[in-house]
Amino acid sequence: MVALSTPPAVTPWRDRLRQRFSLDPLQIRWNTIMLFLAPALLMYLCFTAYPVLRTFYNSFHNIVPGRSSEFVGFANFVELLTNDAIFWKAVTNTMIWATVEPCLDVGLGLLLAVCLYAKVPGGRIFRMLWFTPVLLSYVVVGILWMWIYNYDWGILNALLRLVGLDSWAHTWTGDPRTALWALIATQLWMWIGFNMVVCLAALSALPSEVLEAAELDNCGWFKKLIFIMIPMIRPTLLNLLSLAFIGKMRIFDLVWIMTGGGPLWSTETVATYVYKRAFAWNTFDLGYPSAVASVWFVVVLTFVLILHTALRQRQKLEY
Amino acid sequence: MRMKPKNCALLLGAAAVSLATTMGLAKAETEITLWSHWADHDTKVAFVEKAAKNFEAKNPGVKVKITWYQKNSLYAALKVALSAGKAPDIFYAEVNQTEYIDNDFLLPLDDLVDWSNIEPWSREVWTFDGKTYGFPLETQTVELYYNKDLLKKLGFDLGEDMQLNQAEFSDLVKKASAEGIATLGQGVGDRPYPGHYFAYQTLLKKIGKEDYGNLLAGRLPYSDPRVVEHLNWVKGLIDAGMYPKSFTTIKLGESHRYFYANPGSVALPMGSWYTSRAFNPVEKGGQPDDFPLGVKRFPAVDGGACNDCKTAAVGGSFVVNADTKHPELAAGLLNEMATPEMGTMWLTTVLVQSGVKGDPSKITGKYKPYFQELTAIGSSSEFFIGLPHQLTKGACGDATVQIMNTAFPAGLISVEDAVKQLDAACHKG
Repeated sequence: MVALSTPPAVTPWRDRLRQRFSLDPLQIRWNTIMLFLAPALLMYLCFTAYPVLRTFYNSFHNIVPGRSSEFVGFANFVELLTNDAIFWKAVTNTMIWATVEPCLDVGLGLLLAVCLYAKVPGGRIFRMLWFTPVLLSYVVVGILWMWIYNYDWGILNALLRLVGLDSWAHTWTGDPRTALWALIATQLWMWIGFNMVVCLAALSALPSEVLEAAELDNCGWFKKLIFIMIPMIRPTLLNLLSLAFIGKMRIFDLVWIMTGGGPLWSTETVATYVYKRAFAWNTFDLGYPSAVASVWFVVVLTFVLILHTALRQRQKLEY
Repeated sequence: MRMKPKNCALLLGAAAVSLATTMGLAKAETEITLWSHWADHDTKVAFVEKAAKNFEAKNPGVKVKITWYQKNSLYAALKVALSAGKAPDIFYAEVNQTEYIDNDFLLPLDDLVDWSNIEPWSREVWTFDGKTYGFPLETQTVELYYNKDLLKKLGFDLGEDMQLNQAEFSDLVKKASAEGIATLGQGVGDRPYPGHYFAYQTLLKKIGKEDYGNLLAGRLPYSDPRVVEHLNWVKGLIDAGMYPKSFTTIKLGESHRYFYANPGSVALPMGSWYTSRAFNPVEKGGQPDDFPLGVKRFPAVDGGACNDCKTAAVGGSFVVNADTKHPELAAGLLNEMATPEMGTMWLTTVLVQSGVKGDPSKITGKYKPYFQELTAIGSSSEFFIGLPHQLTKGACGDATVQIMNTAFPAGLISVEDAVKQLDAACHKG
């Protein structure tokens, strides 16, 4: 017969640690938290915080590889803000892009979402067709639209010629008057599907009681859309607008692929200008491009804060 | 699981042996690294690889590791690698990249390379403050290629000097436009230089080498009356339809096809490396075998200071990293490319001029007449060295590309505005 004995008491590892190093439980909990946070924090510090801080540091210096950087104070900023016409051209283009396109993106996205919400015939196919461009990369979209805009054999000019509007055929990306708008239209085509899907999700989540009550009150489709649906999905629309705005303020890929900022800087954006100054102007100096990037970072951050505050205030008012 | 001390010792021993072996191998085989553009230029790749193979055969234990890039990717990779001290021993560069020299990234090659078989002028281009920094492998002249049949059809005969005068060229543009043909099938969709070839080459003839050099260096303003007069003439040709309407979006390869295939143009100003593409088989993007390719001088301009002037330039070159641990070996590889045999190989396979002296008489077959024409034009020319986009930098370089390469030849800007903007960016007062 085996005598039953009390199993030896197992001391929890935290208690053992505490006994050994005289640590209090709160400290152990923090250590655990830090242990799990460390990898992500390290990644953030190395790949986000440090580059941002380094960019700010660089903007006050002339950076020459292999030599110590030369402190130049605000010289880069003064040059940039007072004597750089291309920078201001890039700012103007970027601001036009960032203000016009989000409105079109969200407005047309909402319109398409309403069409699908109203159960138009073939809605599933349309949803797929309208959303597909979102899945394409900027490189593919850029090349595709370069073909569409081609003067000699592009489909846009071919269609114009087909309907007898030969004189309207145009080098859409080669004329400073139309190049920026051609690029905006391209990006609009790409992102409209994303806005449509988000708006459709917001519309689908609307409480049916409210809409049914409106129908009982003889409220027509248009009035229901303007006075009930849009106000109710306003937070979604505002979020889409602010996200689109931030995205457009940093636009680079599409411009680089389609026009490289030309002709005559008519499609130059701040991001392409920073890249050109850093890598295409036959200089290793990263000070000046860092100054451009820093200024733009502050501008974008300011707009984000303004939008964020405006959004919060609106929501507070609602409640 | 705990490892026994005996096993641990065995594992450590194995690791030490393997490390020692690896180090031993590394010592036995020295590696020379080379990063180059021309990833899709088969004949140039074959040339460099042949030189590397010859070099390895003469230097047992030395291995050449070549990485091929497209130009833009190479430049971006080099900027990062040089700043980080991780650049290869040898890399591709062009003469306008003087920032490499300014930042002490390049090793002077004067005492390392055997210059006896290198064209002196091409070495001179790479010489800064008395030191030579680059090995000028590829050289080019700016030529006006033309369709012999089409020119004849339009009623023009070049004569022995292979050159039209200003009035004749204006007439050619008018006649070609009347037929719905672009005189110069050019495009600037993906390059910063083809659009300025015609305006600058004829401007060089107008004001001569010295003032042209001054203009590009910012010492002579674009508002100089001779320059303005010349640009007004070019503007007249542009407005008369000298370039295709899709000029701003046609890419380099497309412009070649525009010239020799569809829809066809009378002429195409291009670097003489044009033939390294055009003489490829048709299925690889070359011109048709029966295309009547000719090469003529840019038109002589009225009151021109140097109507025999034309531009020559050094193109793709190799430079040696100042931080290389094997300067003699790196230079040895370049010397392997600098032999007369290799010079001839370049000429006969790449079909473009080189800074390495070769024997053009070895070029035979269907391309022989072309090279004879090219040599005839070259032999009676005075050369200005360097292209505008190579000689201008920073804001001036950007303005030169935006205005003279794109906006002006596309007819998007008046002479007055072009002059004003170029002077604002380039003229040093």
